[in-house]
Amino acid sequence: MTDILLSTFLLSVVLLGMHSFYGIEVIKRGIIFTDLAIGQMAAVGAAISILFFDGEYLFPVSLVFALFGGSLIAFASKRANSHEAFIGLVYAFGLSGVFILLSKSYHGMETFQKLMASDILFTPLEEILKTAVIYAVLGLFLFLVYGKTAGAVRDFIFFVTFALTVTISVRLAGVLVVFALLVGPALIALKVQKGIQLINAWIIGVIINLVSIIVSYNFDFPTGYTLVFFHALLALGVSVAPVGRSKEIRPGT
Amino acid sequence: MKRLLFVLMLILVSQAICRRPLHVAASYPYIADLVEKIGMRNVRVWALARGDYNPHVIIPRPSFIAHVRRADLLVISGAQLEIGWLPPILRQANNPYVQPGERGFLDLSRYVTLIDVPASVSREQGDIHPEGNPHFYLDPYNIPLLAKAIAEKLCEIDPSDASYYRSNLDEFVRQWNEKLKEWKEKMRPLERVAVVEYHKNYDYFLRRFGLPIVGTVEPLPGIPPTSKHIEQLESVLQNHRAQFILQDVYNPDDASRHLANKLGMKLIVLPHDVGAVREVDDIFSLFDEIVRRLTQ
Repeated sequence: MTDILLSTFLLSVVLLGMHSFYGIEVIKRGIIFTDLAIGQMAAVGAAISILFFDGEYLFPVSLVFALFGGSLIAFASKRANSHEAFIGLVYAFGLSGVFILLSKSYHGMETFQKLMASDILFTPLEEILKTAVIYAVLGLFLFLVYGKTAGAVRDFIFFVTFALTVTISVRLAGVLVVFALLVGPALIALKVQKGIQLINAWIIGVIINLVSIIVSYNFDFPTGYTLVFFHALLALGVSVAPVGRSKEIRPGT
Repeated sequence: MKRLLFVLMLILVSQAICRRPLHVAASYPYIADLVEKIGMRNVRVWALARGDYNPHVIIPRPSFIAHVRRADLLVISGAQLEIGWLPPILRQANNPYVQPGERGFLDLSRYVTLIDVPASVSREQGDIHPEGNPHFYLDPYNIPLLAKAIAEKLCEIDPSDASYYRSNLDEFVRQWNEKLKEWKEKMRPLERVAVVEYHKNYDYFLRRFGLPIVGTVEPLPGIPPTSKHIEQLESVLQNHRAQFILQDVYNPDDASRHLANKLGMKLIVLPHDVGAVREVDDIFSLFDEIVRRLTQ
C-alpha cells in the first residue's frame, strides 16, 4: 500500500505547491469562490463533451469553459462592486447547467462524476509527474513575471493561469479537495506573521496532507474527504484561536 | 496404534491450521455471502461495497485497494454495474492475478441471461447500458447459477479441495430449492398485480413472479424524476392501476411518496443487497425479506 499512499501524498503536495499561491491571492483579493466557480464552468465543458462528443475532447472543452469563466470574473471584478455575488452566480449557473445538460443522458451523472472528480487515491503516477512538471514551469513563470506586472495585465495573467490549474487539478482530485488545498493552508499562513507566506502555506499544507493520508489509511476513511476535513478543521481552528492576533490586542505591553 | 492415530490427527489438524485460506474480494455483499457459503472454511472474503449504498455509486476507501491487491480471486457482479468505481481500484491494486480474463477473476453476469439488452447500441442514444439490466441477482432462480459459477471457479483455483466445494454447492442448491418453493408459493397471490418501480432494480424478480411493471419513477435510469415524467406516469396510472410502488433504500422517496399518496398505492421499500436493511444478513434472508415486505 505504501506506493499508493506515497503517490497520493505526492499528488497532494503537487496540488498544494501550485494552489497555495492562488489561495493567498484569492483571499487577499476577496474572491475565494472563484475557484469553485471556475471549477464548475470546467464541469459544464465536461458535460458538453459527454453529451455531444461521448466524452472525447473533455480537457480542451473544459479548459475553454474554465477560461471563459475566469475571464468573465476578471472582467466583472473590475466593473461590479458586488463581485462575490457575481462569482456565486457563475457557480450556480455552472452547477445548474450541468444538471440540465445531463438530465437526458442515461446514467450520464455517473459518467460525469467519474470523469470530473476522479478520486485522489486513483491518479496514476505518470499523471502526477506530468502535472508536477507543468506546475513547476507555470510556477517559475509566475515567479519571474507576475510580480513585475500590474493592472489589467496582472489580472489577465492571474485569471488565465488560475483557470488552467483549476481545470487540471479538479480532474485529478475533485472540486472539494482542490478547494481545501487552495484556501486552508493559505488562510493559516496569512495568520502567521513570520517568514514568507507562501513557504508557510507549503509547510503547513504538507503536514496536514501527511496526517490526513495516514489517518485515512489507518481508519479506512475516504481519502479525499479526510484531506478536506483536516484542512478545514485546522483552518477553522486557527481562525478562531487568539494566537497571532495577541500582538495587536496588547501593543502596550 | 493409538500413537499412530494421534500423529495422523496432529498432521491433519496442523494442515487445517497452516493452510492459508484463499483471499477473495467481492464487489458487493451478496457475492461475498455466496462465496462464503461455497468456500466456507477455505476462504476469507471481503465485500468492497456496502449493501445499503447505491451500487452504481460507491465512494472508494483505501482498504478497497488493499483487499484487491492481496486477493487470489476477485468476483464481480458485472454487466457494467461496477463500471463507475471498480476500474481505477483494479488498476491501482496492480494485482496481475485478478485482472479481467485472468484465472483469479470472475464476472458473474456471464452465467445468466440478461434482459433489456439493446438490439443496437448507437451513439445518438447516448449512454445506453450495452450489456442489459445489471440487477440480475435479484431473480432468486439465478442464484444457483451464480453459486455454481463460484464453485467452479474455486475448484479451478484450488483443485485439491474440489470435492469440498462441490459438496458445499450441492448442499446450498438443495436448501435454495426448498426456499424457492416457499417463495413461489407466497408470491402466487401477487401474480398479475401491477407495480411501479423507482429504478429498474427489481425487473428480474417481478418478471419471474409475473408482476407487470407499469412504469418507473425515474425517467431514465440514474436520472432523478422530473415533473413532466411524473405527470405522464400519473396519467398512465389512471388507466393501468398499480398496487405498489417499489422503492430502494438509497434513492430519495419523495416522488414515490407523492405518487403513492395521490393515487392510493402502497409504497414498499425493498432491500436490493445483503445488508441493505437490518433484517437481511445473508442471501436467504434477502429474498425472505423481499417476499415478506411484498406479501404482508
